Amino acid sequence: MFKKILLAYDGSGGAKRALDAGLELARLHQAELWALTVQEGVPRFSATIDEVQEEKAFANQHTLEVLDAARARARERGFDLQTMKRLGHPAQTIIQVAGEGDFDLILVGHSGLSGVWAKFLGTTAEKVSRHAPCSVLIVR
Amino acid sequence: MEQVWYTAAAWIALALLASLISIRIGISVALVEIFLGFVAGNLGSYLGTAIFQPNAWINFLAGFASVVLTFLAGAEIEPESFRRQLIPTLAIGFISFLFPFLGAMAYAYYVSGWDLHAAQIAGIALSTTSMAVVYAVMVETGLNETELGKLILGATFITDLGTVLALGLIFAQYDYWLIIFAAVTLVALWRLPALSRWFFNTWGGRVSEPEIKFIFLVLCILGALAVTARSEAVLPAYLFGMVLAGLFTHNKVLVLRMRSIVFALLTPFFFLKAGTLVSLKALIAGFSLLVVFFLVKMAAKIAGVWPMCRAFKIPVRESNYTTLLMATGLTFGSISALFGLNYGYIDQAQYSILVTAVIASAVIPTVIAQIWCHPRVVTLGRYSKAVPGSVPGSPNPPPREE
Repeated sequence: MFKKILLAYDGSGGAKRALDAGLELARLHQAELWALTVQEGVPRFSATIDEVQEEKAFANQHTLEVLDAARARARERGFDLQTMKRLGHPAQTIIQVAGEGDFDLILVGHSGLSGVWAKFLGTTAEKVSRHAPCSVLIVR
Repeated sequence: MEQVWYTAAAWIALALLASLISIRIGISVALVEIFLGFVAGNLGSYLGTAIFQPNAWINFLAGFASVVLTFLAGAEIEPESFRRQLIPTLAIGFISFLFPFLGAMAYAYYVSGWDLHAAQIAGIALSTTSMAVVYAVMVETGLNETELGKLILGATFITDLGTVLALGLIFAQYDYWLIIFAAVTLVALWRLPALSRWFFNTWGGRVSEPEIKFIFLVLCILGALAVTARSEAVLPAYLFGMVLAGLFTHNKVLVLRMRSIVFALLTPFFFLKAGTLVSLKALIAGFSLLVVFFLVKMAAKIAGVWPMCRAFKIPVRESNYTTLLMATGLTFGSISALFGLNYGYIDQAQYSILVTAVIASAVIPTVIAQIWCHPRVVTLGRYSKAVPGSVPGSPNPPPREE
């Protein structure tokens, strides 16, 4: 049924559960599984360029570690996970990548790293489920 | 009597809280520090405690922070891209300083009835463009790597140079001390790049950080001379940063070490202090003036920058984007307002209004630029024919990293 699955992966507990579900689904459906990590922007309204550069370097390093950990977890299950990272707003970027890549399922953890903003603006999972161009599975 | 450790603990606790909040909500630590300083300062006044009122040692740390921040801003210049688009960079940057400086000063003097020095401070504080805010907006989409991005960053640099020159020269006392200051600064700027290179090569990389002490020493000596001449220490700091920019590009370790010191110990005191001095009562009483000052800054930037962009045949959408980014402000605006308050050119009510107008200019044009004016296709229009390396009409999608 599913041929190409996109996993939104931010390294959180919810995302790890979604990865486990994704590995199982990919095995059952003989599907491609891609993990996407969206690197959120640098701090808004910075006072120094140094702050922007340091935060960007930190985010780059963190993203690499998150994706490495996801690949390692997949390898333990004997699965070769494809990974990619993008810059931008998480929900918008996940939806955009799903559309551009002709994915037929998006997997997303119920609670990620949206933090305080999610309490006011809704979680990434909620936004993706409302606007995605394909089926969405929210993993609890 | 003040128990210094309690005061230090309270201020450092605020700085730590600001870091944690900043990381959590993704807003720059400086803005959070200003906000927490504002809350603590006003709460402290209400409760009758002096723990969040700046004292001598906090004033020193905050003052030194403003000098080092300015030095680091000066060191960010990219001489190559600056040279490549010299004329539009100079023209847009200069007009971006001049129009709001004259506009805000005229409004403060003729309409609001501020005295001349206070009006000049208003003009300087609202003339600035925040290079950091601009850079942060562009780095997310990779625009900082395009010709348009480099043009905007270069113009920002010129605007800020106008600000520090105005701050350093308008209030200076024109006597022999100013001549001594000017002569020493010129000789220092001429010889310091070579001297610094030799010093860093000979003594650098040690645990006792001789390079950083050398930079701090130069900043203190030039700052002392500037203040003696009734000028401002940020002026030589910015110029010193400019002449050392090339050296910093090749010495990333030194940059990282300096950042550690500056972010851990210096800038929190500057931004917290800037916040503690903002009076809630003054903001409420002067809210309409605050809104007007913000609008004057926006109107003056639009009146100056947009036509200049169009004069260089930059397409409309890119001109809109450039204008909005040039209308941002934060660090230099805060430094200018705090300078005015420290020297008694403005009172606390005027300071509160100016700093808040500056902060509003960091937020509002940025949000508008990102949402409505972000260029989908980045070109410099017909002007780009004269710019080597730029490709008119070339698409510039957001960066994609595999």
